[in-house]
Amino acid sequence: MSDVEALIAKALPFEALSPAALQEIAAAAQTVEALQGDLIYASGAPANALYIVREGTVLLEPTSGGLPPQSVQAGEAFGWTALGGKAGRRYRAVAASPVSLLRIPGDRVLDLVASSSSDGTELRQHVEDALEDIHAPAGHSAVSRTLELSFYRFAYWLRSPTPYLGLIGYALLLGFWYLSVEVLKLPRFAEMPGLTQVLHEWLSRNPTYGVSIYTPVYYQHIFVSLQRIAIAFALATTLGVPFGLLLGWSRSFKDYLFPLFEIIRPIPILAWVPLAIIMLPGSELPVIFLTFLASFYATALNTMLGVKSIDKTYVLAASCLGASQLQIFRHVIVPGALPYIFTGLQISVGVAWFSLVAAEMVSGQFGLGYLINTSYTTVQYPTIVIAMLTLGILGYATSALVRAAGDWAMQWRARQFAMEGQA
Amino acid sequence: MGADVASTAPPKDRTRGRKALGWRNPFLALGTRRALTSIAIALLIWEIGSTSGTWLGHPLPILGVVPSPVSVAVAWSHLIGDPGYWQSWYLSFLRVLLGFSAAVVVGIPFGLLLAINKTFRGIAFPVFELLRPIPPLAWVPASVIFWPTQELSIDFVIFLGAFYTIVLNVVGGARAIDIRLIQVARSMGASRGNIFRRIILPAVLPSICTGMEVGIGITWEVVIAAEMISGGGGASGGDSSAGGGLGFFIWNSYIGGSYPDIIVGMFSIGIAGYLSSAAVRLIEDRITPWRRLR
Repeated sequence: MSDVEALIAKALPFEALSPAALQEIAAAAQTVEALQGDLIYASGAPANALYIVREGTVLLEPTSGGLPPQSVQAGEAFGWTALGGKAGRRYRAVAASPVSLLRIPGDRVLDLVASSSSDGTELRQHVEDALEDIHAPAGHSAVSRTLELSFYRFAYWLRSPTPYLGLIGYALLLGFWYLSVEVLKLPRFAEMPGLTQVLHEWLSRNPTYGVSIYTPVYYQHIFVSLQRIAIAFALATTLGVPFGLLLGWSRSFKDYLFPLFEIIRPIPILAWVPLAIIMLPGSELPVIFLTFLASFYATALNTMLGVKSIDKTYVLAASCLGASQLQIFRHVIVPGALPYIFTGLQISVGVAWFSLVAAEMVSGQFGLGYLINTSYTTVQYPTIVIAMLTLGILGYATSALVRAAGDWAMQWRARQFAMEGQA
Repeated sequence: MGADVASTAPPKDRTRGRKALGWRNPFLALGTRRALTSIAIALLIWEIGSTSGTWLGHPLPILGVVPSPVSVAVAWSHLIGDPGYWQSWYLSFLRVLLGFSAAVVVGIPFGLLLAINKTFRGIAFPVFELLRPIPPLAWVPASVIFWPTQELSIDFVIFLGAFYTIVLNVVGGARAIDIRLIQVARSMGASRGNIFRRIILPAVLPSICTGMEVGIGITWEVVIAAEMISGGGGASGGDSSAGGGLGFFIWNSYIGGSYPDIIVGMFSIGIAGYLSSAAVRLIEDRITPWRRLR
């Protein structure tokens, strides 16, 4: 048994093949070499051959959204799941490193499946099993496969120019900051807090202005801001989503309440500050109210748009099949609007931070916005920058969290894309 | 036959009867009537709630302390003759216009460059994404320190508010262009300038418009806050009752205890924001006439 035959026997579900059939396939196989970045096949290309990787790695890049990219390592086969159907390639295959491939003409394989009476059915069974594997890999657990894939993607990312260009960007920004403020002392810049000054303050055990990663007060500000965001966001979601669903679902509800909503909505959140202070007791409630209001608008509007975006035929079809109004609402309207709802929630988290900071700057006892404002009035300039950067990090983290929640809640969408076929 | 006539006749009669009674006013569609009803009810609840200030003998929590619609209307009618009030309008509009046009002028080329040039995107986009989550208002103190006049610092924060949205929309729009269009154009011998002018620019225009529409909304948020925090700034600052922009007008009314004026200010800003959005939409209709046809 030649090494080509061994490779084929290992890579494909061909264990059941007779040595003669194996030999025939091995004879038909050609060796293909590709350099890093070379296109092996484009998406949409006719699926007339399958490939086995001898050396190197091939990256399968989806061209439609929703499909995860996949990597194929030495010893694995790819590109054959489309062989049976008339459909073209669903992925484009690119060499992620210099690769050596074995290209097996598809008609040869199909002929074998069809002709050889002894292993034909068995072979087909194997192919079907392998197809299943693509969706639910049996070899190793899903976790280890995911882990492997993310490691691979990380390594691939490291080989691309992206991270280094990004580093250049950060270096330019920090370099400009350092040079303009602390070295060249350009006019106007000289009064700004400098890079080293801020870093020193942020990481100091004994901060000059009282706030660094070692002081509990820093975390207290963070905690208070996060708590307000959490309360306001939760409130806005629990009220805004049903409100938006009703606006989109019921004509008369929309007729009565949407005009009121639209009269109040153009008023910027911050114009509410004094009124909120008058209306609500304490200093905590006004801040939460302002943060809530911003999130509420974004959530309600996007939810309404989501309901409007649903294809009317789904609703008609469901009612034709005898679904009750409640069932339509639960099984058509709500899932149909979900993508828009999550877009709304992402915007909502962003504007929540926006109004939180403003509200804390005007009224408040604690929180990062308050910290910025007091540091400004007490001339503790490095602390302003520390608070700004902290806000940036927290803002980024919370919207990443919402995005992750959205991906999790809409797994059916990814699955739907995946079911449409691949490789 | 007789039954048919009997079953079809009553509905006809009913509609005719409604028309005769004036229920079907052609100028007031169902939606408009419902809108007016709900607005009237809301105003009524607000008026009664705030003038009585109690509910079953207990002080009414939120409505009870808010100035009533009638007092707001009275305050507004006095302010219409006050030049200081109109000065606030003028100042806020001027700031929005300055900051917003700066964001448009800088943001659109920046966004296009990000979308077209891969190296530039690699360098600049991560930095952009690092700075974007910092709320524009967190920049207020830093910009007050940096810019020589308070007016400029307010304009800068307004600029930031609109800038991120416009850039993100331009990048999104440009990256959604079907690459085949560009390939076809190139294969037919179009120059880079041609491709940019005939394919990229028209394709990105709708996204630019969306960005501008969202952006102008954010500028009003920012201008109000900036005026409140920095105490009006600019021209007449604290001496006139209203001279530092609409945000300052609200804040001043709050400090001065003239509560109906706060609500006048809120609605004024709502109207101002609505007007400027309408202006932006008008410009959009001009530059993307094909969108109206949809």
